[in-house]
Amino acid sequence: MRRFWKSGEPFVWLTGSALALCLLLVVGLVALILVNGLGFFWPADVLRATLVDGTVLTGIVREREAIPGKPGEFRIKLQVGNRDLYGADFQWVDEARIARRERPADVVVIERTEWGPLLGTIEALRDGDRVLAVRGAAGLAELARRLPEAARLRREIRALEKGDIGAINHAQEQARLALRRLDLRGITAGARVDAIQAELAALRARYAREEARLAELKRRQTARVVVAADGGKAKELPLAQVLRAWAPNAMGLAAKARHYAAGVWEFVADDPRESNTEGGVFPAIFGTVMMVVLMSLLVAPLGVLAAFYLREYARQGAFVSAVRIAVNNLAGVPSIVFGVFGVGFFIYTIGGSLDRLLFAEALPTPTFGTGGILWASLTLALLTVPVVIVATEEGLAAIPQGLREASLAVGATKLETTLRVVLPAVMPSVLTGLILAMARAAGEVAPLMITGVVKLAPSLPVDGFWPFVHLDRKFMHLGFQIYDVGFQSPNVDAARPMVFVTTLLLLLVVILLNLVAIGLRNRLRRTYATAAV
Amino acid sequence: MAVTSLTLGRARTSRRILLDRVSRRLVVLGGIIIIASILAILVVIVGEVSPLFERPTAVVAGRHAAAGDASAPAAGAAVGVDEYREIAYRVTAGGVVEFVSLRGERGLAPAPVPGLAGARVTTVARGGRDQLLLGTSDGRAVPLAVGFDVTFDGGRRTVTPAPEFGEPVALDPEGRRPIRQLAFAAPEGGPLRVAQVGPKDLVIQTVVEKKALVGPGRKEESTQPLAVEADGEITALALDARAEDLFVGTSRGQVVHYDVRDRGNPARGQWVAASPTGAPVTALAFLIGDRTLVVGDARGGVTSWQMLAPPGAAERRLTRIHEFTRHDGAVVSIAASQRDKGFATADARGEVRIRYGTSGETLLAFATGDGSTLRSLVYAPKADGVLAVNASGGLTHWAVTNPHPEITLRTVFGRVWYEGYTEPAFVWQSTGGTDDFESKLSLTPLIYGTLKGTFYALLVAVPLALLAAVYVSEFMHPGIKAYVKPVVEIMAALPSVVLGFLAGLWLAPVVEQVVPGIFLTHLVIPALVLVALAAWRALPAAVRSRLRPGTEVALLLPVAALGVWLAFVLGGLVEQALLGGSYRAWLQSALGLTYDQRNSLVVGIAMGFAVIPIIFTIAEDSLANVPQHLRAASLALGATRWQTALRVVLPTASPGIFSAVMIGFGRAVGETMIVLMATGNTPVMEWSIFNGFRALSANIAVELPEAPEGGTLFRVLFLAAFLLFCLTFVVNTLAELVRLRLRRRYRYL
Repeated sequence: MRRFWKSGEPFVWLTGSALALCLLLVVGLVALILVNGLGFFWPADVLRATLVDGTVLTGIVREREAIPGKPGEFRIKLQVGNRDLYGADFQWVDEARIARRERPADVVVIERTEWGPLLGTIEALRDGDRVLAVRGAAGLAELARRLPEAARLRREIRALEKGDIGAINHAQEQARLALRRLDLRGITAGARVDAIQAELAALRARYAREEARLAELKRRQTARVVVAADGGKAKELPLAQVLRAWAPNAMGLAAKARHYAAGVWEFVADDPRESNTEGGVFPAIFGTVMMVVLMSLLVAPLGVLAAFYLREYARQGAFVSAVRIAVNNLAGVPSIVFGVFGVGFFIYTIGGSLDRLLFAEALPTPTFGTGGILWASLTLALLTVPVVIVATEEGLAAIPQGLREASLAVGATKLETTLRVVLPAVMPSVLTGLILAMARAAGEVAPLMITGVVKLAPSLPVDGFWPFVHLDRKFMHLGFQIYDVGFQSPNVDAARPMVFVTTLLLLLVVILLNLVAIGLRNRLRRTYATAAV
Repeated sequence: MAVTSLTLGRARTSRRILLDRVSRRLVVLGGIIIIASILAILVVIVGEVSPLFERPTAVVAGRHAAAGDASAPAAGAAVGVDEYREIAYRVTAGGVVEFVSLRGERGLAPAPVPGLAGARVTTVARGGRDQLLLGTSDGRAVPLAVGFDVTFDGGRRTVTPAPEFGEPVALDPEGRRPIRQLAFAAPEGGPLRVAQVGPKDLVIQTVVEKKALVGPGRKEESTQPLAVEADGEITALALDARAEDLFVGTSRGQVVHYDVRDRGNPARGQWVAASPTGAPVTALAFLIGDRTLVVGDARGGVTSWQMLAPPGAAERRLTRIHEFTRHDGAVVSIAASQRDKGFATADARGEVRIRYGTSGETLLAFATGDGSTLRSLVYAPKADGVLAVNASGGLTHWAVTNPHPEITLRTVFGRVWYEGYTEPAFVWQSTGGTDDFESKLSLTPLIYGTLKGTFYALLVAVPLALLAAVYVSEFMHPGIKAYVKPVVEIMAALPSVVLGFLAGLWLAPVVEQVVPGIFLTHLVIPALVLVALAAWRALPAAVRSRLRPGTEVALLLPVAALGVWLAFVLGGLVEQALLGGSYRAWLQSALGLTYDQRNSLVVGIAMGFAVIPIIFTIAEDSLANVPQHLRAASLALGATRWQTALRVVLPTASPGIFSAVMIGFGRAVGETMIVLMATGNTPVMEWSIFNGFRALSANIAVELPEAPEGGTLFRVLFLAAFLLFCLTFVVNTLAELVRLRLRRRYRYL
């Protein structure tokens, strides 16, 4: 026994177990997100459970757990959907109470524009008083046949609302601001004012015409589907609200895979619905990407310039060492502090001044004096600039001095040496730093919460109205969406799968960026390892 | 040809040199600007914080002489002002409400009090902003509402006074004695008026409005005398706006409380010696919200009091809260701010002091400078000015700049006795439901929360990260090292919002099920590892030799997983057998602890997860950089690899390990999303691991979007950010310096 302890092996194994535990934590976390995230789009079978008391429950089994205090007994969590009919999406059922389980082929799941999924069997398809099809497979087939037309109509209405009517609204707002601008200069009458007034009148007339067209389109949405749910309840749903319908129990593997792919595409490319708990995350992806790109445009030149100054141009001494330590430490300053700085300096100081100077006609509504994508990007640029500086400096330190001296010896100036010799050699380090900065920025949420991220932005920061890129707009962000949907939405249970999928997406982006950076760095090390010889 | 090319070459060279010089200047300039702008963070944040602690100022904005003897003011609250500080009014003893344009632009017609019939105005009581009640020399009272009409014409503001007199009411119908003091309130049940008509005699008039089903309601008016039992004469009266508590000040320095909630039957409550010197009480006033009573006496003493029920007692007692700095002369008037818990006091020598009720501080003192005796004082509605009227009716108007009166270092970091609290406390509560809600901005509970979360995170992270670092750097086979380090780097790159979401929505409910198991992992996993090792050594050598040293971790992965599972199973059994089936009930009964679902345990695990890779990377780095010949020497002398690690490598690298822990600390202090999502965000100050907390960082994230720019809350949040900045910057710099020294030491070894 003494030898056992004396050998020191127990301690070695204990330290090893700490590492094992850490690795387990990482793997477990990634696996948890993968399992929960990837399963979301899969059209799982629908179970119809008949309880011992005769109640019928139709739903998708989402969870199964042991009942606390009753060893050996389990209960399942059924997603029964039909929030508008039952009030709750989920129901716990003790397995002991289930008398019969079946998977009827005619149960359909309908994804609709509001109230979450609808589960039941198709009773009939109607257009006004006309019955188009009745229950069962015929009903589903007819529904599938009519859905593309309904979707086309919905797209047309949306295009009209967002496109033409949106353009009119935009033009009206511009005209109103033009009037206000004139007013601020003391012009309240005259030819220019009359011209704008005339334009406004024309816009109002156009608006009325488009409204009429919209009403006409909406009148054409008459088809309805009647779905029977548990407990004798029925729901008559306009086809205009149906996004997708499927009968999971009747689907083969190939059909399910196709459905899965369509679901993934919808998630990536669509707008969110139901306060972000359903639909897609396209605006959030767009906002995240645009913010990261803007930030990179700012941070790359600034970081490189600062690093070149510190390593190539400044005289090495106590001051530069102090600055280096300060820059290093800045990477450890909490991100929320950068956010606070962004609020105090960018938004209220710079943005407020810009508003007073350039956008006085819109006041008191702030243009740049409130959170926006530009300020958020600037804040994150400041947050991540130490990453780029440190990476570039490391790269510069690793470049053999001989390379520079050779260039200077053949008569190149310092600038030429820097641009033609040092910069190409250090480029991979810059890229590594930049990618790490992008990964950090993509996952950062706290400073964004106070500098311009919102739960629902009415429009993207890029659109068809001049000047096309609107840096003053608020934007949506994947990370903030996780926080917002997971913690601020009224129905957290129903929103959870959506959060897991968003998390998975964010995680993929961040891990991918990091892997690229790690790979780049490893290649870099090999290059220098050979160069040093 | 050759000549031209040479000259061309020269021109080109000089251009190149010029370009080089310009670019050098540009890089230096750019570099310095970037670095300066990074350091400007501190400057901007400090710039936003500093107005909090600036001293308030007061400047005389105007003096307006009296129009003669006729302007001598009545006693009591005889002066007032509109919210833009354009027009002031004073009620004269002769029965005229005079208006004074403070900008001196126009003359305004005075409004004589109607129905006086030769009587004089003896005293004026104020209830609410512009509601006055004028007492007369023949025992009557005249209600007066001084409103102001504000019109805008082409961006120019015009304020016009609009006084409205009510019907005179008889308060002392029989005696028609002059009214000496007056107090009134108009709560929903009907107004209540209290008047002093003799040295010790009060009359209380109640009006009960009875609603009728049809037609106009009836008013029932009843007047009853009340003889005050006290040693001295009555010198001051105060009645709260709810018409519940009447306070009577006497010439012997007492304040007597009457409970007037039962209108027909005022009950005498306790009395207190408000003035320790026995000096007569000369002024009584309520602060905004009518919970705090301020008492001024003839020797200049100023104290604040509240009706509080001490712990365990049902009855409220008048309790002294603060004693303010003394005036040199008798306190003649107390004017409460309508914005905050501030008030101003004036003494007979013409000095005015601005004070703050909650903090007990005197912020500012200034004087009329002409030595005249002040009669009455009013605080401007926006708390940006003070007006005083002297004995002959002369008005002095001060503009006061005092944007953050409630903030001092003591109120931000110390215990503060807030209204309605039975004792001073640390409270963070920035918004409330009612209009007269007072923000409670103590950063102490938030600092406590930050440190608590950091402590539990480090409790989880430090052992795991350091042990893992020791294993990876000392014992692990270099071949697998290349796979482990990227995994840890990925761990470091996980966005904290992901960890926070999992902690709050997934981990918290899971942890709730297995709390005893989690505490058992500390025992079960090491025990299981030792058992596994013993079993491993019992295996034949042929099997054992297939595992190269440094690859034990492959065996340990399933062992650790099994350990976690076993701990949870055992935890369930322990809960059944020892904790009576429910650990929550046991915690409650045995330790008096409550269990919140989102608690410090969950945060500790999640934030520990975020901190592990940072500590691990830096610790592993400094361990791996220990010169190889030290290890070789130790092993050559026959030490085992564990002895080498423990006695040689660890002591050498200990500064690096220290700095790793420090940097981990810095990261945990500033972590925002995890604490925001995984705690309940309640600013409580309890050490228990089963409670949540509210951290500085999460607090900023939640409250800054709602805080109006430049307001007190906004600046206090900047102060919180400043604290975070300083804390992390100091800790990181310390860690960095330690690492630099360590690197130098390695060079010598």
